[in-house]
Amino acid sequence: MALIEFQTGLGRLLREQRSSDPLHGINLDANEKQYFETLQDTAGFRFCAGIQRSWCVGRAAKSAHFTLSLMPDQERQALLDEWVDSGAGTSSFFDAEGESFLSFISNRLTDPSHELSVCHFEQATLRASNGASSYASPDLSALANVDSKLRRGRHAALVRLYLDPSLLIESMQTRKPLPPLSSEALVLMFSPGLPQLCNMPSEEEIAVWEALDAPASVGTLLSLNISPETLAPLLEQGTIEYAD
Amino acid sequence: MVAFVEVTPETICRQRGTGKTTEIEILPDLMELAQQTCGELPMVIHGVELSIGSAHGWNDAYLRMLDRFQQAWPFVWHSEHLGFQTISGDEGATLQVGVPLPMPPTKEAASLVASRSDAIQRRYGVPFLLENPAHYFSDLPTDPEIEDDIGLLHSITKGSSCQLLLDLHNLYCNAVNHKFDPFKAIDRMPLDQVIEIHVAGGSWRDGFWMDAHDGRVPEQVWEMLDYVLPKVPQVAGVVFELLEEHAVNLGPEAIAEELKQAWKIWNVHRAA
Repeated sequence: MALIEFQTGLGRLLREQRSSDPLHGINLDANEKQYFETLQDTAGFRFCAGIQRSWCVGRAAKSAHFTLSLMPDQERQALLDEWVDSGAGTSSFFDAEGESFLSFISNRLTDPSHELSVCHFEQATLRASNGASSYASPDLSALANVDSKLRRGRHAALVRLYLDPSLLIESMQTRKPLPPLSSEALVLMFSPGLPQLCNMPSEEEIAVWEALDAPASVGTLLSLNISPETLAPLLEQGTIEYAD
Repeated sequence: MVAFVEVTPETICRQRGTGKTTEIEILPDLMELAQQTCGELPMVIHGVELSIGSAHGWNDAYLRMLDRFQQAWPFVWHSEHLGFQTISGDEGATLQVGVPLPMPPTKEAASLVASRSDAIQRRYGVPFLLENPAHYFSDLPTDPEIEDDIGLLHSITKGSSCQLLLDLHNLYCNAVNHKFDPFKAIDRMPLDQVIEIHVAGGSWRDGFWMDAHDGRVPEQVWEMLDYVLPKVPQVAGVVFELLEEHAVNLGPEAIAEELKQAWKIWNVHRAA
């Protein structure tokens, strides 16, 4: 058997453990197909398949640790299984898949909910830290031009928590039921240029974020009574960025 | 107690992008911390992401990262695992399998790895070592000229400038799981090519002894070290491997004891 066929076959059998035809499209003769059929029945293959599965689940679980820790076991396992069945969790750089996995989870959570807030919190932390290592503040001079277009920073996020964070952490640690959502949200702004990646924004900074639901010009923002003094630090820390 | 350090560069890196745009980025703060921690100790590289045996192509992003790594922090030698962990997907995409897998003992596998080993040696200008892997498959496709895992190591080292990282715990795992005598296996190895030795611990899982790096070195692995050290004229060091998450459970005293044991055996055979 050619090396590429062997590797593709073995790799697929391990990656697509729940597929009905993982060897589809591989150029195998009858003996080679028989080899893979026999291989799947060996204790060594089954052991390796179990390791592969548990490592993939473990990597995914690490990338969404806090969100998953708030979920009932059955729901948590179902999400992990669905994610791994899609072929994910295989990269040892699990952070690289972390944002995608958190997006996948967030689409299945109630809005608003504590679980969704924590999911957004994890996503925001990951996104800002991914941007932080190579972040450089832009030239602020284009803010003087009212036609300059701005948008939300690609590594920034705004997160609303509906519970004191210390109570959320306690619930994660003790697995106690979460209290009802508070009527007032604690708002956190994540930006790659902030030393701690996160701060509590002012009302005006929140207004900028909300206004940039879609890209907008500096002139448009100024017409909403947002001051240039508010825009400059947001641009400098990567909460917002030039859209051009 | 520590004469040199072995760094797995991926542990201080982050991956960006996917597919052909993938880059592995060294995180400057972690690099600085690693350099501070290691001080003036000599450093060697032990990579895990190269996938040197992947027939569809190895991990170019890993090598680009290692180019930058070497400029920032030169290493004495460089080692990788003999195996593959990626396969080709649709439209030339690279798919991670999720676990490292062994190379079949075939001429094609030996030739591929030998030529890539030479390319790596030229690229970095320092010795390149391949580590014998632990694996759980009893029936890999085989060419009679190569015969088995040890034959594959012979063929690669004869066909290239590549040398060996002899992982005694991996050999022990294979001996336990595939039921052969590890001492006889040592005698069949290309021992004149061994530059580095690994020892580690493992654990039972589902009827297999697993290369888990989760605890103390089994007594028989120490016996294997004692057995092999007089037979490896070029060996330059022994490394005790332990995964970070298990280091806390094992504790500093037990880790120190493992290092002392390695030194004790080393000094018996290599002190002169």
